Amino acid sequence: MTLRQISSEHWGEVDFRAVFLQHYARIVAILARLLGDRSHAEEVANDALWRLYRYPALQFDGNVGGWLYRTATNLGIDALRAAGRRRQHEATARWLAEKSAATGPLDDLLREERCRRVRAVLASIKPTQAQLLVLRTSGLSYKELADALDVKMSGVGTMLNRAEEEFRNRYLALYPNEEEL
Amino acid sequence: MICMDIDNGMLRAHLDGEMAASELEQMNQHLTSCADCRARFEKLSAETERTANLLTTLAPNGGDTTNPASAYAQFSSQFRNYDQPLARWFNRLFAPGWRPAWGVAATIVVIAIFSGINPMRTWAQRALAMLRVQKIAVVSIDPSTLMGSAEPGSRPYKLMNQFIADSVLVTMDPGKPDVVPTAAKASQLAGYPIRTIGSLGAPQSVEVSGETAFQMTINRDRIETLLEEVGRSDINIPESANGALIAVHIPKIVISMYGDCPVRHGDGISNTQSHAEALAERKMERMATMKSTNCTYFIQAPSPTVSVPPDLNMSEIAEAALELAGMSSAEARSFCQTVDWSSTLVVPIPHNTSAYEKVTVDAVEGTLITEALPQGNHYSLLWIKNGVIHSLAGHGNSSDALALAASLQ
Repeated sequence: MTLRQISSEHWGEVDFRAVFLQHYARIVAILARLLGDRSHAEEVANDALWRLYRYPALQFDGNVGGWLYRTATNLGIDALRAAGRRRQHEATARWLAEKSAATGPLDDLLREERCRRVRAVLASIKPTQAQLLVLRTSGLSYKELADALDVKMSGVGTMLNRAEEEFRNRYLALYPNEEEL
Repeated sequence: MICMDIDNGMLRAHLDGEMAASELEQMNQHLTSCADCRARFEKLSAETERTANLLTTLAPNGGDTTNPASAYAQFSSQFRNYDQPLARWFNRLFAPGWRPAWGVAATIVVIAIFSGINPMRTWAQRALAMLRVQKIAVVSIDPSTLMGSAEPGSRPYKLMNQFIADSVLVTMDPGKPDVVPTAAKASQLAGYPIRTIGSLGAPQSVEVSGETAFQMTINRDRIETLLEEVGRSDINIPESANGALIAVHIPKIVISMYGDCPVRHGDGISNTQSHAEALAERKMERMATMKSTNCTYFIQAPSPTVSVPPDLNMSEIAEAALELAGMSSAEARSFCQTVDWSSTLVVPIPHNTSAYEKVTVDAVEGTLITEALPQGNHYSLLWIKNGVIHSLAGHGNSSDALALAASLQ
């Protein structure tokens, strides 16, 4: 029998390391999509993992991955919203400047602008809907989505449809001239 | 399977390859035979594809350079140095990188907190109003928005540092607090009677912080430039505030610690211009590092005094400060309309983890703030009696807080 000292304040190092190594890369990838900035994504991922570390009760709950994806995307959406207010005008100004200078390939510029718009729309819809879309686009299965958002697996399809509809409507409202929708 | 059994959620699961194997065959059969459902499926499929085209633009185009093992090494070196539970929102809020940002906000909030206008009481030739805290109001803020702005070394950060250096003048430096053995000694030193919590026995230690005073001149142009830099040019600073001189005086504060409280480390004040902020930080740090065992803090402080020109509209300034702290402009406006700024201490709490209620304590009305944390519940009980602000903070539930307060001596 192995006796392990259980702290009420944080996880044991062995267990925490295993969880960290299992989830870190995927969480950073999801957050990088959401935030468009790898170092910012790593910072937010660390914040989520830090919260996990301080939440030892979760070791016995069994849904660590779900909790982690939910917390990380919540923090990511908060950061996206905060950054949106700050960066929106800067990004537009930069984009216009770059566009007029026409230094880079047009495709890259268009793609960058498209990303900015998608993120602005994600920041403006309900956080749970934005979470669902980002997690699904990042490749989470219905089972993983149900765990992360604490919903029934049978309801995930309907929730995805609603979230996408909301996303499309908001996108069209914000960018009515875009042809792709 | 008939059409009525098939909702768009099921069609979606089918499209995503997430349908249970038992249902998959029936679904395929039905779609082959039913033109209506097939049309619905195709429409859904087209819509989903359009959305997916947009969302997949977010996929990174570079290679994946994440190395979990080295990330873990870095991460664990941080938490090894971190032997106290500091993962609270205000820990980040008061992290070194955020001090200047918080300094400005704190200065404005402190001013908003302690001040207002009372035209009936004038002081000297400058016709300043002197105000005292008589009651407490709690306001719920979103702490993440404050944290979301500048980074050390960035232009907004430097501007803020410069702004504080230029605008805030410390006229009375509290120095290091005196540690005294008993409450009686503390009373002597502080100049007002110090009370104790009877049921907790003798305090582990009592600290008396010296008086603090600072003054600040509001330069509207500079504040607006600053707000613009942090992307909040939507916040409006009233024109009447420009050039206003605001003076804050904080009397001696007595902090009694009971039980197993963490030992204070060095004061770490790096910026001589921000002592008030450093004081607030130390207090927050102490509260943050409180062990889940049995550390309780009892803080007593006479009301600070804030002097402001009588024509300054504090409600508008407070509104700006609350917006900066994360409230929407509509929320800030409606909250400010309910507050009498001449006599109210406004306590900001993070909206996602905290709750508050009005309670009767020490025969007056008090405010009990509770925060649910992974390591257990935490409370702060605040009330004002005989002109002294009392704050009792520790781990436990509201009933624990009220039981302790009932044994006040």
